[in-house]
Amino acid sequence: MGHYLRICYHVIKTEVLEVPGRVIAAMFVIALLAMPLFISQPYVLRILTLTAIFAIYATSWDVLAGFTGQVNLGHALFFGVAAYAGAKLNLSMGLPPWATIPLGGVVAVVVGLIAAMPALRLRGFYLSLVTMALPIILTGVIYIFPSFTGGELGLYGIDRLSNSVVFNYYLTTVIMLVSVYIMYKYTDSESKLIRTGIILHAIREDEITARASGINSTRYKIMAFAVSGFFAGIAGGLYGHYMKIVGPSTLDLFFSFQAILWTIFGGMTTIYGAVAGVYILYPLVEFIRVLPHGEDVRFIFFSGILILTLLFMPEGLTTWVRDKIEIKCPRCKLVNVVTRRNCRACRAPLHLEKDQLGQ
Amino acid sequence: MEDVILEIEGLSKSFGGLQAVSDVSFSIGRNEIVGLIGPNGAGKSTTIRLISGILKPSSGTVRFKGKNITDKPVWDIVNMGLASTFQVVKPFRQLPVAANVMVACLCPRAKRHGEWVKTVELRARDALEFAGIADLALEPASVLSHGDLKRLELARAIATEPELLLLDEPFGGLNPAETSMIARSLKRLHKGGRFGRLHSEGPAMLIVEHKLADLMPILDRVVVINFGRILAVGTPEEIVNNPAVIEAYLGKEVGNLVSGS
Ligand SMILES: Nc1ncnc2c1ncn2[C@@H]1O[C@H](COP(=O)(O)OP(=O)(O)OP(=O)(O)O)[C@@H](O)[C@H]1O
Ligand SMILES: [Mg+2]
Repeated sequence: MGHYLRICYHVIKTEVLEVPGRVIAAMFVIALLAMPLFISQPYVLRILTLTAIFAIYATSWDVLAGFTGQVNLGHALFFGVAAYAGAKLNLSMGLPPWATIPLGGVVAVVVGLIAAMPALRLRGFYLSLVTMALPIILTGVIYIFPSFTGGELGLYGIDRLSNSVVFNYYLTTVIMLVSVYIMYKYTDSESKLIRTGIILHAIREDEITARASGINSTRYKIMAFAVSGFFAGIAGGLYGHYMKIVGPSTLDLFFSFQAILWTIFGGMTTIYGAVAGVYILYPLVEFIRVLPHGEDVRFIFFSGILILTLLFMPEGLTTWVRDKIEIKCPRCKLVNVVTRRNCRACRAPLHLEKDQLGQ
Repeated sequence: MEDVILEIEGLSKSFGGLQAVSDVSFSIGRNEIVGLIGPNGAGKSTTIRLISGILKPSSGTVRFKGKNITDKPVWDIVNMGLASTFQVVKPFRQLPVAANVMVACLCPRAKRHGEWVKTVELRARDALEFAGIADLALEPASVLSHGDLKRLELARAIATEPELLLLDEPFGGLNPAETSMIARSLKRLHKGGRFGRLHSEGPAMLIVEHKLADLMPILDRVVVINFGRILAVGTPEEIVNNPAVIEAYLGKEVGNLVSGS
């Protein structure tokens, strides 16, 4: 027992406390889990619950756009379809949330696979245009069949997740943490657990070489659509059961763009950047909303922040911060705190002085 | 010829009005190293890319191990055991060198045929050691010199555990010492030698190269093409003495070659 505790202590000391990024991630998780102990206003918890849901949503966009280069301009499609599917299953068949949310995710996967069909033929800008059109088409369909879809008003009277504000907060937050962890591992090119990350990276850099290495790049792209769709769908299902109403706004174009803006602000192709983007921007914008004239100012504020980000931190906030606090060992490529002089593993000097470089 | 592994018949390819390859037919035996030589722009790279499936021919067929692979996607062909390298290297620049090769180790064929007790990392390392760049494993591919990138190309191709290896100028960018080292490694690999401790299939090879002095000694047979057409086929000795080849391509240096080898 004491032996294992010592191993644990050793791992935390050498593999977490030595890497600033991991320290921040650990503090973030602890803060999220401890939040209800200190804050009990339902309004704040409600915003944080929605933040968790949107964090899943934005991260799933990054999986597709950041890691496979397929910039989906209509990501709300997955969110909305799953929200509607979950609502329908709940209202007409009486399925409880724990069943409708994953089923909604599965429906989003099916939609994702259908959406992937043009993705196999189209690239870049043309692909993005098609993805943008899909939720618009679906919104039209919803208005055409109001008796089935609730039309403009949407579907309401959906079962809530639970009656406890705190329980809802914990449920969505834990689902968010687990989903983000899975998506992180799925896309991590250094993972030894799941090898998809390295293959996605290779396909993104040079698809021809990846194919010449025996990789069926088409299959990996379709799979990325499915994974991305599934998690966006989970977010949509949670949203429906949390708000108890699902309307056409879940398919809104602006809502699609929101995933992009959050992620670009936080840092694309990182997964954690999308999470950071949502956790900073969404509560901030909601807070501004309750100030005088907030409703009008918040979009100006939102756009202003984005322009500033693109100007001064073109790779996003988290990447900018990471480069300030972490440094890769030039010899063994291990991540170190920027304040260290020698690598924590191989002892190589981390900061080569100018005169050393000349030698 | 005994056991044939690759047969190409009437292969043609035109780019717009330019006939890059016309009516090329030859075959490669399971235990052969065949050279494909010819002057610049003769259509050698195009032929390689037609066989590996990266380009699709205007007409003609490619049969590998008795199966028609002309219309198959590249990855299927690789997973059947036909790997190729590019003349113009296209590595995954931001990935470490080891990861470049790991991608090939992760293809279905490599997973099936690779030494199963080894991790993907170790298998990639074997291929890098074969190519002589294991010391660069952790560096991003973007910092490699041209010669090292050519070796990386080679490592990536053999990591798919091929039965037939198509190499487009594998000695490009290498100095004379490195060239003869890689040439000897290729010969050893072909004879069923091992890279790492790994038993390899002893792949047949088709090698495009301009450095004939290093290439000729390891070849069993040579195919010469000029203006997209086959000019001559024969053993290295026959080729260096063939008047048509001498006129088109080899010139005066042929005599040196024969005495050199
Ligand atoms: N993608 C392409 N589009 C148009 N023309 C091409 C293309 N690829 C090759 N060609 C042309 O086809 C002809 C044959 O090219 P290829 O690259 O096969 O020659 P090569 O024998 O490999 O020459 P080298 O020894 O210089 O590598 C050349 O005239 C070349 O310009
Ligand atoms: Mg060429």
